[in-house]
Amino acid sequence: MRRLIVVASALLLLVLIGITWQASRRVKPIALVPSLTGKVEYCLTCHSNLPEISKSHPVKTFGCVICHGGQPLALDATLAHSTLRGGANPADYSVVQANCGGSNCHSGSATTYSDDIQRSTTSIQDTYAGAIATIRYTFGAQPSLRALYGTSAVQDPSSTSGITSLQMFDPKKETNPAVQAFGQNCLTCHLSAVPSQAGSRYDHFTGCAACHTPTQAADLTSVNTKTATLVHQLTTAIPYTQCDACHNRGNYDLRSMTFQPRSDTPNTRLQDYYQPIAQFTSCEYNLDCVDCHTRSEAMGNGSLYSREKDIQYIQCQTCHGTLTQLPLTRTLSDPNDLAFRLAQLNPVVDLQLGDTILVTDQGEPLWNTRVLPDGTYELVGKVTGQVFNFKPVMGSGCLQDPNDQSSAACHQCHSVQR
Amino acid sequence: MNQAPISRRDFLRWVRDGLLTISGLLGLAGLLRFLAYQSQPAPQTEFILAAPADYAPGSRTLLPQVPALLVRTPAGFSAYSLICPHLGCTVDPQSDGFICPCHGSRFDLQGQLTHGPAARSLTTLRLETAPDGKLHLFTN
Repeated sequence: MRRLIVVASALLLLVLIGITWQASRRVKPIALVPSLTGKVEYCLTCHSNLPEISKSHPVKTFGCVICHGGQPLALDATLAHSTLRGGANPADYSVVQANCGGSNCHSGSATTYSDDIQRSTTSIQDTYAGAIATIRYTFGAQPSLRALYGTSAVQDPSSTSGITSLQMFDPKKETNPAVQAFGQNCLTCHLSAVPSQAGSRYDHFTGCAACHTPTQAADLTSVNTKTATLVHQLTTAIPYTQCDACHNRGNYDLRSMTFQPRSDTPNTRLQDYYQPIAQFTSCEYNLDCVDCHTRSEAMGNGSLYSREKDIQYIQCQTCHGTLTQLPLTRTLSDPNDLAFRLAQLNPVVDLQLGDTILVTDQGEPLWNTRVLPDGTYELVGKVTGQVFNFKPVMGSGCLQDPNDQSSAACHQCHSVQR
Repeated sequence: MNQAPISRRDFLRWVRDGLLTISGLLGLAGLLRFLAYQSQPAPQTEFILAAPADYAPGSRTLLPQVPALLVRTPAGFSAYSLICPHLGCTVDPQSDGFICPCHGSRFDLQGQLTHGPAARSLTTLRLETAPDGKLHLFTN
């Protein structure tokens, strides 16, 4: 009996030592109480080395959970991540409303410029309506190029484009084998596609992150790049390489309805730029895509469209004017002008009330431009910060017909030979 | 002097007592640790400042620990929270007012909203002169 008590005492001590050892190994939680939620979260215990995602989303204010979900008080990784919304991509469109929405955030009203989710989820980059309509029309499945289908069913009763709804494209309902093959092989290139496998080359190329979370890989177009190095960053300074990752990664072969990855390894920015067969003026490839193309062109304006071209309206004349007309400008007199909001997000220019900037024919501010006192213009690269000075066409020796302002016409004289 | 050899019974008793004592101490230490655990303290809502005379007339004093701005005018003292009423970032003082570094809301020197996205002005905070002769600032 005595021996049994000694053994039991030894066991009790062993158990207590084990518990003490386990407790001593437990990480000391790093608590954060974000000012927006006022609720403690321990995510920084493991993630304190992550850089601030953007100056608009400081971790002290937002914390992690409001955008990512997860268990804020868990110190075990599996438990902490068990309720993440969208995994490592909280901006995937399947969860974007829960993570990025809200009237003060990205699903507010157009008047406060915070309707980003509504606009981008009806944009051609998400609906893929143009590609679907083109393929169905090409193979005789519909009578015109007018979009009837999108990647999901969308309604837009107040459409300004004339298209008030899109039905969901279902390849199984198609009878033409080519359209079926398109549905099978070619529906991965839109913002609400099923995300690629984590760590794969196109991981994170869905939702807002597809554009606003640039990858570190500079040569995503190269066949040698198998994975994208992700960074914890949200930015409006989107480098052309990010656009290239989708828009210049190769082409679809219409005969086999398969994707043919780009096989060359571009060495220069000119070779690397959008569509190797296209012609470029030097400003087109020296600038980044976002230097000219506006948020409405890229993210849509809330209406449904049949083709990319229907919402793409930036032309050479937007900045350069024509022989008979100077480009459109606006002198900033309202502190609530969208130009200030956009410049605040990416402060490559110090925009001031009274500055005169170029605007598109839709009235969108080209906030990174300025009309200089001598009548010339200045554009600051949104990604590079490089300053470009340029003149209006009016008064120059340009021979172009003012009524023909397609880029092809300008390329006749101004393209750079590759 | 010859010592009597330790009997087996005594040895086992000492071992038992030793083990139980160490276990008891460990258990007690765990209990004390449990009882001494402090949950996350509630955020501070009252801040004790200096005496009113320590603030010069016309002065504007930043209180980063709040964060707030204490203003002394001929009419008396007033204080504004430097938490942006839009989403809660801390606004930066400028020569002509305040600007939110997160989304660009601007406020004039009196904390009044000049442009959004914030929808209201900076919050005015309650100030009291306590019996200790010091200014007390309340954020709740």
